[in-house]
Amino acid sequence: MSRPAVVFDGVWKKFRRGERHDSLRDLIPAATARLLGRSRPSRDDLTEKEFWAVHDVSFEVGAGEALGIIGPNGAGKSTILKLLCRILRPTRGACEVRGRAGALIEVAAGFHPDLTGRENVFLQGAIMGMKRAEIARKFDEIVQFAGVGEFIDTPVKRYSSGMNARLGFAIAAHLDPDVLLIDEVLSVGDAAFQDRCVARMRELIARGIPIVFISHNLPAILELCSRAIVVDHGTVKFDGSPAAAIQEYQLVPWTTAAGTNTAVSVAPIRIARTELLNHRDESSAVFQTGGALRVRVKYEAPEPVRSASITIDIHRGDGVYCAGVNSLMDKYDLGILSGTGHVDLMIPRLNLLPGCYLISVGILDNTVGRTYDLHNRAYPFSIMSDRRDLGVIYLEREWTHQTHAAAATRRNLVAAGKDE
Amino acid sequence: MTLIAQFNEMILEQVEYRELLYQMTLRDLLLRYKQTVMGFGWAIFMPLVNTAIFSVIFTRVARIETPVPYPLFAFCGFLFWNFFASSLRFSVLSLTSNSNLVTKVYFPREIFPFSAVLVCLVDLAVGSILLAGLMFYYGIAISPALFFLPVVLAVLLAFTAGLALLLAMSNLYYRDIKYLFEVGITVWMFSTSVVYPVESVGGRLGQLLALNPMTQLIEACRSVMLYGRLPAAGPFTAAAVVSILVLFAGWQIFHRAEFAFAENV
Repeated sequence: MSRPAVVFDGVWKKFRRGERHDSLRDLIPAATARLLGRSRPSRDDLTEKEFWAVHDVSFEVGAGEALGIIGPNGAGKSTILKLLCRILRPTRGACEVRGRAGALIEVAAGFHPDLTGRENVFLQGAIMGMKRAEIARKFDEIVQFAGVGEFIDTPVKRYSSGMNARLGFAIAAHLDPDVLLIDEVLSVGDAAFQDRCVARMRELIARGIPIVFISHNLPAILELCSRAIVVDHGTVKFDGSPAAAIQEYQLVPWTTAAGTNTAVSVAPIRIARTELLNHRDESSAVFQTGGALRVRVKYEAPEPVRSASITIDIHRGDGVYCAGVNSLMDKYDLGILSGTGHVDLMIPRLNLLPGCYLISVGILDNTVGRTYDLHNRAYPFSIMSDRRDLGVIYLEREWTHQTHAAAATRRNLVAAGKDE
Repeated sequence: MTLIAQFNEMILEQVEYRELLYQMTLRDLLLRYKQTVMGFGWAIFMPLVNTAIFSVIFTRVARIETPVPYPLFAFCGFLFWNFFASSLRFSVLSLTSNSNLVTKVYFPREIFPFSAVLVCLVDLAVGSILLAGLMFYYGIAISPALFFLPVVLAVLLAFTAGLALLLAMSNLYYRDIKYLFEVGITVWMFSTSVVYPVESVGGRLGQLLALNPMTQLIEACRSVMLYGRLPAAGPFTAAAVVSILVLFAGWQIFHRAEFAFAENV
């Protein structure tokens, strides 16, 4: 078996905090300090102004694998990608990408506002490592993909920001890379363009091209990636299936992210874990339209809790609120919750159409209406189906057809009979 | 030995990215053509104005002896000097003004100063049309020594590129460089045989000025184009050796530092 296409082996990257001065005025004291024998700190130590942006991170991505990287802002995700693209070099460790790396990072970085779209396509293509003949061959395809049409000979400074980004992405999408590195590019363009981008990524994944995908769009990670890692403070906190990684990411109260965990500080009850079970009572992240889903909420209650209720919400990946149920509204009395136990919500027929969904689970106090614990959009699952319905829900239905022709004929006959 | 191997690798990298070097050069040329009304006319206009000014000074005010008519002497000097000075002037800013590329896309950073030098080489070619016209006007015949011009140009190119790399890099770390450069380049011009023959400066200062490789290179250009003879072997060889060393050292230093550029822009 060949070596993986992307190897990130024990990589450390040091960054400086605060301002760095760029004038000779600062060089002279620094140089004298150095000459006087105060040697530079070694690579492995941090001075007070430095910090590790990437702290001993290792992963590999092989052929046909799509790795998602998720984590709060400032966790080091983009630094990892910049290390992969060779824009930055690791302080320690090794990172290697074999073959031509197509980086969808700043897809329009090389554009010059005074040049026309056509000239910029050739320039940006060359920046991304394409040969002139190759760009010329794909030129029409690129213009069509970007949908800039007759504006191709207009200077880019007259383009809207959407057109700019679309043209940039179109060039990058036609790169035919050996490895694809993506950083949050799906946020550009309108819905139709985003669909085309996702389709293009699927096509590359299907061809077995390894992909590293950084995004805050968790459903996209769930949908496109075969594996995901959670990064926080420069270290890998979790490495596993995308569904498990998303759970991990959503459940940890990240210090840098605005609290996803909005529970009261000392709650008498908390959600220990939630499991999504299929019709065979196996934990799963993939369900069928019309199949069974059992949401099992495991709780821990150090003190007995009366009059609590459980709320379960389902959101689609794009934010559409699909359903919200609550045990109190369903007039189901949970009784006294004490110690550990679990509450099941059985949905015999999950009538959702294919896509990615996120489940939120909350335990509420009915008496004062406060939240004991909330796992907001923490449990992802996807729905598979061969149904071709559009929309959000699957409607159980039947079609019938009754022709009124017989009645009409009879009426005609009757009318004709009268005539005779 | 490893130095040689590394140098080999650096050159191979440039060969691999030759299309990008071409596109970046084309970009700068296109931009100049689009953003200015005169476009390439500036390549002729600037040395022409300078030549006119110094022709007045050195033929009317303070007469000096030159081997060929003074305007020709000065224009030839300015043409090659401007190639050198403008290459460096563009290179100084080449990394800092392209900071969005430096921080966001990977490719060999040498492309920036190199394309700055190539753009100025195109200017040199455009300007030499006027030089040919002036030579015709003053009845200077072309001699077989002109075949040596590519060698002279190659040496000038090596010296310019070597300094361009060093300047581009140092301005990234210390933005003072671009101001220092403007002072330095003016002093350097008057220490070089651009507007007057430096040999005419006598004494210690004259000996010191003779060490300036640019004087040898500009004189070599005049030799093969205007005087119809090969440049003086000793000084030219010395200048060539210095130029190659500058390119070699400059490129090595640049190449070792370029990984840190994205963090320092």
